Amino acid sequence: MSNTYYLSQSNEVELFQAAASMNLPVLIKGPTGCGKTRFIESMGEKLDRKVYTVVCHDDLSAADLIGRHLINEHGTFWQDGPLTKAVREGGICYLDEIIEARKDTTVVLHSLADYRRVLPIDRTGELIEAHPDFMLVVSYNPGYQNVLKGMKPSTKQRFISLSFDYPKPEIEKEIIIKESGVNAEVAQKLVNIAGEIRQLTDSDIEEAVSTRLLVYSAKLIVNGFDPYQACMHSIVESLSDEDEVLEVLRKLIGLHFSS
Amino acid sequence: MLLSILEFEETIGKFWNKFLDKKTSKSHESERVFFEDKSKALKVFYHLLGGQRAKELQVTDKRHIDTSRSLYEKISNAGNSFFLASQDEKALYLPASFAYFATKELNEMLYFWLVAMATKTDYYRGTLFYKNNNAAQELINRYPGFRVFYESASAYLLEQNEKLSYIKSFNEEALVDAQSIDSLNAYPFVMWIYPPKDSKSKYSDFDDEDEPVRGDEKPELTETLKMKKQSQKMDDDKETDGLVAFLPESMMSIMDKVNVDRSEDDSFDEDALYNAEDLDEITLGNKKANLSARLKMDLDLAVHSQEEYPVGDGHFIDEYNYKTDSYLKNYVCINTHIITNIEELKLPLRLKKMVKKIERELDLMELERVKNSRLPYGDEINLDTWIDYKGHLNKSGHHQNFYESYERKSRDISTLILADVSLSTEAGITQEIRVIDMIKDALIVFSEALEKLQDKFAIYTFSSLKNTNVRYEIVKNFNEKYSDFTRGRIDAIKPGYYTRMGAGIRESTKILAKQKTQNKLLLIISDGKPNDVDRYDGRYGIEDTKKAIIEAKKMGLTPFCITIDLEAKEYLPYLFGRNGYAVIREPKKLPTIVPEIYMNLTK
Repeated sequence: MSNTYYLSQSNEVELFQAAASMNLPVLIKGPTGCGKTRFIESMGEKLDRKVYTVVCHDDLSAADLIGRHLINEHGTFWQDGPLTKAVREGGICYLDEIIEARKDTTVVLHSLADYRRVLPIDRTGELIEAHPDFMLVVSYNPGYQNVLKGMKPSTKQRFISLSFDYPKPEIEKEIIIKESGVNAEVAQKLVNIAGEIRQLTDSDIEEAVSTRLLVYSAKLIVNGFDPYQACMHSIVESLSDEDEVLEVLRKLIGLHFSS
Repeated sequence: MLLSILEFEETIGKFWNKFLDKKTSKSHESERVFFEDKSKALKVFYHLLGGQRAKELQVTDKRHIDTSRSLYEKISNAGNSFFLASQDEKALYLPASFAYFATKELNEMLYFWLVAMATKTDYYRGTLFYKNNNAAQELINRYPGFRVFYESASAYLLEQNEKLSYIKSFNEEALVDAQSIDSLNAYPFVMWIYPPKDSKSKYSDFDDEDEPVRGDEKPELTETLKMKKQSQKMDDDKETDGLVAFLPESMMSIMDKVNVDRSEDDSFDEDALYNAEDLDEITLGNKKANLSARLKMDLDLAVHSQEEYPVGDGHFIDEYNYKTDSYLKNYVCINTHIITNIEELKLPLRLKKMVKKIERELDLMELERVKNSRLPYGDEINLDTWIDYKGHLNKSGHHQNFYESYERKSRDISTLILADVSLSTEAGITQEIRVIDMIKDALIVFSEALEKLQDKFAIYTFSSLKNTNVRYEIVKNFNEKYSDFTRGRIDAIKPGYYTRMGAGIRESTKILAKQKTQNKLLLIISDGKPNDVDRYDGRYGIEDTKKAIIEAKKMGLTPFCITIDLEAKEYLPYLFGRNGYAVIREPKKLPTIVPEIYMNLTK
């Protein structure tokens, strides 16, 4: 039984289950804070598979994923990395923000992400066949523009792709209520604000307001914070540094939460 | 003597005007808020509420409405022309300023209210009253802030002006014939959006000139009339005696008709602007200068005072024709130039502060340090390899390379900056600054940043005049060191003619593809669509440019476009992909934004 709250938006749950049953790796694209990680966690519970999450960064080495030798009082021993653990014992290995990792690191995934499903470990000379319950999931945010980073097409084309976006208004409202316990009226206002801010494109603000931020403001409001202040600190201030844009966003919040 | 009489008359006139103005206007002058100061914020707000992105926000002109007036108003000719918000497909028109309310905040809020109303009303369908009433209801139901504003503001306006009582009675659902309100002669209510002022389009049948309009027309460099004027077409082809009498509202006037060809006279006349603002409508003549007597030629003027040195005799490259889905072989002639005899230029004072700021930001951005491990010697012991060795069963076969070193690696990237220097970059941002000046400043500031990062870079500019002459100018190539000479060369950049972007991209692709770095960024700085005087306009130019970009990507380059063309939203995603471009709303910000975009791209 799943304890993690996740409200599905379209057919992503069925698709993920199908991919899991057919041993296909999955790639999830979507803006920050739209529910990618939450989705994976809830799917892990649904499928009764452990989730090994690795948040990628540019210092991530192949050893961080595969494992390394460590020392104890008896000498040295080999310690599996999260990827190797999932491959051996079964489970979902979830590499979050994969394009943050260097390209040479992600090459180790190639043999796992196709029909072979094996993981070679140079240091121990092992070749591990993946457990039937092993599943590889990677995610990234396509909104980041970077020349030096990006998934190699040869990596990208090994995955079933799922595109996430911010939830539809009525679903988002339900999520906010469920996550924060705020009343329906305030939740509706927050959804309206988000909908309006998302009309602005990349030329005005770097990234649209995420469901996560809306939940934060709802939580602040539930805790007795003034709604206007809560929105200012959780939504507006982080969106832009431009005075004109900030001024307009303040005005918008003021119109929604007039005292 | 005559002069003093005139002066006396003028003084009396001014006094009389003031007296009548006081009697007839009911506003709070000290709290006046101007559209110009708020225009940017209003535009963002308009987008927030779902307004169409392509629409402009402009200042409206007054419109004439027959209302009943007081005696003073009649004498002073006030009270029958109003500045009212309206919109059509092209733009939303707002009054130049407001001073209806006792505080600046409220006057400002009226602007925001009208912008919000505009997003909720259809501009042609529906009767005036119902349309506005529905929109207002929608706004006050959704935004408590607007509810508070609308209730207090409308109550105040109704109280100030008994002529607006029809709105009140309607609000109280008394039986008023809605049609009479929609006759547009009811006293106007400033919180409403009115229909477009001139839906009859009286001037659509003007003959165009007999030559096609070129896309890259030089924009007006002088101050322009920032409001929509009602225009009336006048048949001035007939030879009349030059005396026209007409009867306006309150006086009889006689006007002389003089044939002045404004289309040819491009001198800037401040009085004309001042007078134009005050006119009720502007009458346009249809008479053009005698076109048959005009010489048509492309003047081959020297563009530069410095010496231009051609590099080679020009060479030919292909161009893509989407109609036939094939290449026109050797169709475009590229003439490469370099400017010689330039003077060295130190970093201009005006940019010093900006460069310092960007350098500080770069310092925070830690340059990539690369760890080389498994070395036979080095700075530090790499414990991982040592432990590996300890855990290895066959120690004799082990390499025993236990060391690691860090080296500061120059980022593995080459950037070619291709600046569009077509004629449109001559356009003025302010009276003193042109777009080209901002592009030059951006190139200097950006070069400083790249130099600091130790990234390899080159700068080229391009402009074109048909396929036979694409000027491709070397400002700095990859091998040259950045120096005061480079800055001098940037400073010597002059605008050319048109924008044959496909050719510029193909030429740059050739140069950039030869670089040995793993990452190759082709950064295009542009101010508008691809276009030229020949067939290279509209779809043809766009498709050729897209093809050139696809070719560049195939060669392993990453093209990215930074543009200051606000209309670019339509074609840029098609050309560069969703993440392949950035639009800058403020040309003045170009120098600061270009390095920032670059840092984000290559972090």
